This record gives sequence, structure tokens and C-alpha cells, in this order.
Amino acid sequence: MRRLIIILTLCVTCNSLHAQYPGYAPVADLAKFKTEFSAATKKTLTIKSDFVQEKTLSMLSEKIVSKGKFWFKKDNMVRMEYKQPFQYLMIINKDKVFVKDGQNENKVSARSNKLFQQVNKIMIDCMQGSTLSNTDFKTRIFENKNSYLVELVPVVKGLKELFKNINVVVDKKDYAAGSIEMWEISGDNTIIRFTNKELNTTIQDALFTF
Amino acid sequence: MRYLLFSSCVVLLISCTSAYKLLQATEGDAGSLQKFKPAFSVALYKAEVEVMDNRLSGLLLVKKMPDSSMRLVFSNEIGFKFFDFEFSNNGKFKVYSIIKQMNKKPVIKTLRKDFELIMMNGIGNKNVQIRKDDGLLYFSFKQSKGYYHYITSISGEELIRAERASKRKSVMEAVMKNYTNGIPDSIGITHKNFNFTIGLKRIIR
Repeated sequence: MRRLIIILTLCVTCNSLHAQYPGYAPVADLAKFKTEFSAATKKTLTIKSDFVQEKTLSMLSEKIVSKGKFWFKKDNMVRMEYKQPFQYLMIINKDKVFVKDGQNENKVSARSNKLFQQVNKIMIDCMQGSTLSNTDFKTRIFENKNSYLVELVPVVKGLKELFKNINVVVDKKDYAAGSIEMWEISGDNTIIRFTNKELNTTIQDALFTF
Repeated sequence: MRYLLFSSCVVLLISCTSAYKLLQATEGDAGSLQKFKPAFSVALYKAEVEVMDNRLSGLLLVKKMPDSSMRLVFSNEIGFKFFDFEFSNNGKFKVYSIIKQMNKKPVIKTLRKDFELIMMNGIGNKNVQIRKDDGLLYFSFKQSKGYYHYITSISGEELIRAERASKRKSVMEAVMKNYTNGIPDSIGITHKNFNFTIGLKRIIR
């Protein structure tokens, strides 16, 4: 009887693991994935793309959708330009963050705000492939035919209280992030999808200065 | 010296005088305020907040729920949520979530009262005092502590401003402008006792 319970429990656990991300299964060869992922992201020096950000407020059955342009350049430089339905610019350059909203400009030192620093690191890690070595998270990898799903579960104070998990969906063809999903404890989530990606085009440093 | 003492006393007396004392009681219909009560079904605002020289920008979503309660969710542009409040029609208030940095009783109380004034849920209250001065009509509703004043043009056609006030003076002023389908396009909140302002501009999606 006890054996039956154990077997049943195992079956349920396995099923729930698969059911968590429909169509995805745990990566069979983790070492191989890590090597290939690391090699591919080392080659990615710049990314330029469009993005669509969708914030879902689950209890309100409401979505806030915004769109814009995205640029990434190694090392640690990101520019996100929100164009619709509002104007907003965020530049991350190393440990400095600059935001411009309408007429107002604001420089934030990511160092002065631990949470900002952690969130900043997630964005950068997702782009330059250092996600797997970020010790702020416990990581699990899943895959389907076209993509990998990197599940990051926060283990450190500050992030743990905000996010249940952060998932990065990586395209198998170029190992670049296709989307970033941030799942909050409350059940709300924010998904940023990157489209029209161009890898390793020339991007001037001036785009990241402020 | 005597003159200085005298003028100091005058200044002190003036500053202690109620800003509302000179208003004269008048006839009026508080029902005329109904047209200024924001008819939120769902509205998204670009928000700019200034607190003690710190600036914060973000998005404020206001949504009327099926049970007629109102939800206010404030997040930044990147999707990071600062707070999620519920205002029920019966005056009840619930905090669904708030970030640690803002989770302080005086902060929540101030925000609650500011948005209560904006939502105008209490204007159905029969216990209203209507007064006027040279060019304005004051509709005053007593709260457990202090007053909510809605100030219109004499004709009642225009809402000039709303105020949260103590017995003697205004502690916060709010303006709501350019209504489209019953929803104000711009909302401004200014506190008098400390540097705290909220500016909201509606985003058409």
C-alpha cells in the first residue's frame, strides 16, 4: 500500500511538472544545454528588436499592453524605448540607470537601490546569457521543439517577496531571449516579447549614454 | 518694538482664522455635484508623483469591478507594482498589496483619503453644508476627521477644485479637468503641509 502511495505521488509530481509548462519537458542533457547556451551567448554582442510588454492584472481581468524598441550591447548596456501608448525611456549602462518620462529626466544609481540592482541584473543576464550563473535564483530548464524555457525561482530576500518565478524563453535557433515572463506572488504577471530581432548589428555606444 | 509686537499678533490672528469662516450659508442642490463624479469603468492614467523632492512616474489603472467597488493599481512603466487598493461603495477600504517602502500607516491613510475625495463617493450624503463666497459655491461634507469640500462656480456648472481640510484650513487640493464620457482627462493633487503632488494624465489605449 505504501509503495502504491509513493508511486502515485511520483506520478502526480511528474505530471504536474509537465503540466506546469504545457508542451515543455525537462531538458534531457543539461550539461550540453549549458555549454551550447554559453558558447552561443558569448558570440552575441548586440541585439536590436521590437518589444511588446503585456502586464496582466489577474484579479482585475485587465491587461496593460505597451510597445517599443529594444537595444542591448555587451557589456551591461540596455536601452528600452516605450512608444505606445505612452512615451518612456529607460537606459541601463553598467550600474547606472537613466529614465526619461515626458519632459522629466532622472538618473538612478542602481547601486543605491538593491532591488533595482537585482531587477537590472535579471534583464542584463537574460540578454548576455549569464542567467544560469545568477545565484539569486534556483534554475530549472525545459524545452520543446523550438525553444528552451529557463525557469528562475528567486532564493534571495527582496526578490522572493515579489516574484514567484521569472521565466526566460530562449529561441533554439539563436539562443537569444524570445520573451521574459515575470510571475508575481499575487498571480499578476508581466510578459515582454521580443520580435524582429537582429543580432550583432552595429549599435553605437551613444544610444546608451545620458 | 511695540509696533512689531502688534503686527506679529495680527499675523498670528490672521493665520489662526478659518479659511472657511467668511463663507455665507446659501441654498443649493448637492445633486448638481453628481455630474462631476468620475464615471470610471476602466481608465489608465500616466502618473507623476513627487514626494519630498523624489520623483516617481508610473501608470495608474482605475477599474470599476462587477460588485461596484473601485480598484486602483499603481505600477511603474516596466510593470513593477507599487500598490493595489480597493474602495467599496460603503466606504470600506482594502489594501491588496503595497511595496514595503510605502507600507506605512500615514502613507496609506493619505492616499486613501486623497482618492476618496477624487472618487466623490460621499456626495450622496444628505448631511451637506452649502455656502458661498463672492464667486464660488462650497459643498462641505463632514468626515470622521475634517471635511471634504467640493467647490464649484456659482452657477454650479464648473468644478473649480476639491479640498480635504481641517476645520480651519485646506490640507490638500485636487482638480479634475476635461471630462470625456464622464471621466476626467487630467487629475492633480497637491498637498499643502508637505511637498507631495500627484499628477494624472489619461492614456487613450
